[in-house]
Amino acid sequence: MKLFTKYNRINVVSTVIIFLLGCGAFSILLRYVIISQVDEDLKIEKNEVVTYVHQFNHLPTVIEVRDQYTTYKPVEKPTSQNNKIFTNKVYDKAEHETELRRTIEFTVDVNNIWYLVSVSKSLEGADELIQTIIAITLTIISLILIVTFFINRFVLRRLWKPFYSTLQTMQQFSLNKTEKINFSNTDIDEFIYLNTTLNNALSKAQQDYQTLKEFTENASHELQTPLAVIQSKLDILIQNEKLSENESNAIQSAYNAVQGLSKLNHSLLLLAKIENKQFSEQTSINLKELLQTKINQFNELWKNRDIVTAINLSDKEITGNAYLIEILLNNLLSNATKHNIKNGTINILLNNTLQITNTGINYAIDEKQLYKRFSKQHNSSENHGLGLSVIQQICQVSGYNCTYNFQLPNLHTFSIAW
Amino acid sequence: MKVLIIEDEKELSKSICQYLSGEQFITETAYDFDSALEKISLYDYACIVLDITLPSGNGLNILKELKRNNKADGVIIISAKNSLDDKIYGLKAGADDYLTKPFHLPELGARVAAIIRRKSFEGNNTIVFDDLQIHLDAKQTFVNGKELDLTKKEYELLLYFISNKNKVISKSAIAEHLWGDNMDLANNYDFIYTHIKNLRKKLLQFGSPDYIRSVYGMGYKFSLPR
Repeated sequence: MKLFTKYNRINVVSTVIIFLLGCGAFSILLRYVIISQVDEDLKIEKNEVVTYVHQFNHLPTVIEVRDQYTTYKPVEKPTSQNNKIFTNKVYDKAEHETELRRTIEFTVDVNNIWYLVSVSKSLEGADELIQTIIAITLTIISLILIVTFFINRFVLRRLWKPFYSTLQTMQQFSLNKTEKINFSNTDIDEFIYLNTTLNNALSKAQQDYQTLKEFTENASHELQTPLAVIQSKLDILIQNEKLSENESNAIQSAYNAVQGLSKLNHSLLLLAKIENKQFSEQTSINLKELLQTKINQFNELWKNRDIVTAINLSDKEITGNAYLIEILLNNLLSNATKHNIKNGTINILLNNTLQITNTGINYAIDEKQLYKRFSKQHNSSENHGLGLSVIQQICQVSGYNCTYNFQLPNLHTFSIAW
Repeated sequence: MKVLIIEDEKELSKSICQYLSGEQFITETAYDFDSALEKISLYDYACIVLDITLPSGNGLNILKELKRNNKADGVIIISAKNSLDDKIYGLKAGADDYLTKPFHLPELGARVAAIIRRKSFEGNNTIVFDDLQIHLDAKQTFVNGKELDLTKKEYELLLYFISNKNKVISKSAIAEHLWGDNMDLANNYDFIYTHIKNLRKKLLQFGSPDYIRSVYGMGYKFSLPR
C-alpha cells in the first residue's frame, strides 16, 4: 500500500466519522432549539388565550392559521397539570399523512365552565428545516472530503517527489558503475538528510568495491610472472630425456596444475576487466558467421569424442564487443563439450536467440549455484567453475539475457537473448 | 644469430636463455632498462625478447629507441598484461609480436624463429629440414621434391615442430599453439594425438624418416632419428 493511500484512508475514515458524529449532534441540538422555540410560541399562544378570556369572558374565535391547530373542549374540572407540553403524532386528513405536532394543553375558566384548550403546532416545517440543513451539511462535508482528498493526493505526491526520485536513482545504482550517484535536489530537510546518508553509504561501498576490483586485477597481474617462471621451468625440465616415469608423471601433474592455475587467473582477470568496463567498444557482429567459425574449431573435438551435433543457424546481426562475444561463444561451446557425456549430443539453434543444448548429468543444476564463482556442480577438479560466471558477467554488461533450462532425461540448455 | 632477452625476472630470463640457446641461437640477457639500452646501442640482434614492465623504465621506450636508431632488430614483447589495448599499442610502437605471460617456451621459440625468418629471408621464404622443404608463402610442403598434402592443422603442427626442433614440446603447448588459449578444455589433449598421428603417417608414406617421437606421454620431440 502506498504511503499516501494509507494516509488518505485514515484521513477519510476519521473525517467521515467526525463529520457524521458532528452531524448527529448538530441535528439533535437543532431539534432541541427548534422545539424550545415552538414551546415558547405555544406558551405565548396560551397567554394570549388566557388574557383574552380574562378580558372578554369568552373564548377567542379559532382562526385557521397554517400549521397551527386550536381546539376547545369543555371539562368538568381543571387539570392538575396546567402547562403540559408534549409531542404527538396526528393524522392529517387533508394531507393524508401523519405528522408530528407539539401541543400545549391547559384549562381555562370561562363563565364557570372549564374548557380544555389545546394548541398544536406542526413540527413538519422544523423537520424539513433540519433535513435541509443536514442535506446542506452533508453536501459540504462530501465536497470538503473530495477536495481534501485531491489536494492531499496532489500535495503529498509533490511532497514525496524527491523521495521517489531518490528511489529511482537507487534502483539504477550498481556497484559496478564508477560514475557518482546524483540525487535530485530538494529543499526538504528530511530528504536532504536521506540523500546525504545514502550518498555517503553508497560512495563508501563503491570505493570499497573499486579497491577490491583493483586488488583482484593487480593480484592476477602479479601472478602472471611467477606462473610464467613455473611454466618455463617445466618446459625446460622435460627437455631432459633421462627422466624416470615417476618424474615425468610428477611433471605432467605440475603442468596440469599450472595450466589450471593460469586459466583460473586468466578468467579472474577477465572478470575483473569486464567489471571494470574495459571492453566498451561496440561493433556490429555477424553472429552466424562467428558462430560457424567457432563450430568449425570445435568440430574435430566433437568428432573425437563421438558427440553428435545438430546445428541450425539463421542470420543474426548484433551489436556488442567482438572480444567478449567471442569469449561468450567459446565458453558456451566449451561448457557444452566439457560437461557432455560419451556419445552425447549438442544442439545449436540460432534465430533471434541462441540456444545451446547438450546432454549431460541426469539432473538439473541448481540455478542459484549456477553462476556462483567457484561453485562446482560435480567432481571435476580440472574445472575451475568460472566459465559460467564469465558468461553471466558478459551477458550482464552487454544487456543480454541468459537463461538455463533442464529437460529430462539429461538435456541442459543455455539460451542467450540479445 | 643473436637474441637479446630483456626481462627483469631472472629465473624466467634464465629459462628462456636455456631454451633458446643451442644450435639455433646465441642468447644474451639484460635485467634492467639501462643495461638493455646499452646493449641495443652496441650490438645488433636478430631478435629481442622484451618485457615491457621493467622496474627501472618502460620497455616501450627501448622499442622507441630502437626505431629511432633505425635498427632492424625484430622485437617480441612479453607482458603480464593481456589486454587488447596493450597489444595494439605495443605492435603500433613497432614490435613484431606480442606474447602474454605465462607462455610456453616452445611458443616463444616458434615466434622468435618466425620473426627472424621474416626479417632475414625476405623473398626466399623456405625452410629446409633434412628431406623436408616448406614454402612458407605458398604454405606448401615437399618431401624429397614431392608435394605433401597437409591439412591446415597438420601444416601448422609441422612448422611448430621444425621451429622447435630437437626440443621436447609438451602436449599443452601444442594444444595452445593449435587452438589458442581461449578454448578451455580442461587438460584433455586426446584430440592432438589424431593430428600428430596423421602427420606422421603422411610423412612416412612419402618416405621421410620418422622425425616425431613421443616422450613419456608428456609431449613430443621433432628431430632427426638417431
